[in-house]
Amino acid sequence: MGKMPKILVVDDDPDLVESVKMMLENKNYEVITAYDGIEGLQKTKEESPDLIILDVMMPNKDGYSVCAELKADPNYNNIPIILLTAVVSHIPTTTYTQRMGMEIEADDYIDKPVEPSELVKRVDVLLRKE
Amino acid sequence: MLKDANILVIDDEAVIRDGCSRILTKEGCRVKGVENGEAGLDLITNKGESFDILLLDLMMPGISGMEVLDALYSIDQTLIVIVITGYATVESAVEAMKKGAYDFIAKPFTPDQLRIVVRRGVEKRVLQREAENLRKEREKSLKDIAYEKSRISTIINCMVDGVLVTDRDSQIVLHNPAATRLLEIENLPIINKSLCQCVKNEYLVKAVATTLSTERSKYLEISQEITPCEGSARVFLRADTAPVLNEDGEIMGSVTVLHDITQEKELNQMKSDFLTMVSHELRAPISAIQQQLSVIEGGMAGLITEKQGKMLIRAKERTKGLLDLINDLLNVSSIDSGIVVQHKESIVLKEIVERAYQLMEPEAEVRGIKMRLETSGPLPPVNADRENMEEVFTNLISNAIKYNVEGGGVVITLRSEGEFVRTDVTDTGIGIPEKDLPRIFDRFYRVKDSQTRTVIGTGLGLSIAKGIVEAHHGTINIKSEEGKGTTVTVLLPKASE
Repeated sequence: MGKMPKILVVDDDPDLVESVKMMLENKNYEVITAYDGIEGLQKTKEESPDLIILDVMMPNKDGYSVCAELKADPNYNNIPIILLTAVVSHIPTTTYTQRMGMEIEADDYIDKPVEPSELVKRVDVLLRKE
Repeated sequence: MLKDANILVIDDEAVIRDGCSRILTKEGCRVKGVENGEAGLDLITNKGESFDILLLDLMMPGISGMEVLDALYSIDQTLIVIVITGYATVESAVEAMKKGAYDFIAKPFTPDQLRIVVRRGVEKRVLQREAENLRKEREKSLKDIAYEKSRISTIINCMVDGVLVTDRDSQIVLHNPAATRLLEIENLPIINKSLCQCVKNEYLVKAVATTLSTERSKYLEISQEITPCEGSARVFLRADTAPVLNEDGEIMGSVTVLHDITQEKELNQMKSDFLTMVSHELRAPISAIQQQLSVIEGGMAGLITEKQGKMLIRAKERTKGLLDLINDLLNVSSIDSGIVVQHKESIVLKEIVERAYQLMEPEAEVRGIKMRLETSGPLPPVNADRENMEEVFTNLISNAIKYNVEGGGVVITLRSEGEFVRTDVTDTGIGIPEKDLPRIFDRFYRVKDSQTRTVIGTGLGLSIAKGIVEAHHGTINIKSEEGKGTTVTVLLPKASE
């Protein structure tokens, strides 16, 4: 059995990071964490995670920008990204992306709060694609 | 004809008086006789008696017939006087008629002659009365109209709200100062000008045109929010436009009432901003709590007992309820700030309703409720925001299930109706008490009684649905009977080609 996939969780709310971390560690994933967009980018470059779970609303650099930056970089654009959205539905998300004039190419979206089974299912699907 | 006519005979000869009286009484007249002019004038001027016909002898002791004539006509021009003259006094008869006497009869006369001349006089009198009545009636209705006109103009001129009335060709026929002020119309007067020349807001012009062109069987009222002219965002008006129908139900014109809602909007905006802020601040920590509860409940932070697990599941249900409430609050505030209707497109409502239907099916099954979706005829597309419509119909179907009875039913029907696509969501549920109906679309309004106490809801669903439907220029109505069920009807305008 090979090494367990490494997952980077980026969110400015430490309690959220911790609970997501525990959900994933429970399934034996290796989890590393970051608490804002800039740190998230830095950790991506240092650790080369197999998947990134990224909160949308964060100080310094928000999830959309981090996502756009990574997807534009050939070194990292193959890392699957799940965006954590805290908005009511995806209407404001589309409004946002349209307003920003950019196409967000996240591989999946999950609304907060995250249910453990749901999260693990989505992560599994994306990692199996690799 | 002669029946009931009041006749006065003034003649100094008793033979004439008695003769007239005998002949005319037989015909049904009431006849009085006096022997001189003074007595006659006294009856009419002082005693206030009124007569239809006066038979007047010209040659009398005391004041003459001519003088009597003068005196009478100075009081009443309409009196019908028949002059009685002796032989060879045709000249005086002519003179009397010049003064206004109606006819004359020469002495001696036969009963037939008298009857003919009196009958003619009475006929004249009747015509005179009829003409007088008609004149009075006409005067009265003219007065009524003038009064009504002055009353209406006073009422509408005093109104703070604007009133704008057009004929069926969209020409302005009536308006008040508030209307021109609110619509910022500068080139006065605008009476008899066409609406599109004066009003700068095309939505209002369109609404009036739509109202005027609606099939006459339908009474269409359009309520919308407008600005005085495109692009100006300082003033907001609510404009209610309705057709004016004549007694045959044909559209004769339109009335638009304009209400300044600028301040309401500002207040609403402040409230929405506050609501958005508070909701976001609440949502983040509750999300975190729920996620933490999930982790503990899933045993990922160490083993827990069965009892602890059960409590955690209940705690999670509570936090989920809170999150739903916050989501609804956010939804309300986003509707207020007008974000939600930016993605209008031509959509097939049936697909949306079907999706909402499928989404709610499991919930209906759990509660043993039978659902049915019916469509009739071709359904043209509507111009709407897809997400909004899903929200509306999921909400309505969810309500129909939630407020239903065990084993009840829900029927959803879709059909085309005039300018609209009509959707009815009917349930066989507990219904809404009549006293609660007027407030059912109010925010946070929930009917709380023994039957609904256990239903989890935020009291925002219908308010959100109404907000969305109205933002699409549609209408939403609710009909309900306690203990029998509720029907919610949504009318959405068809997409124009």
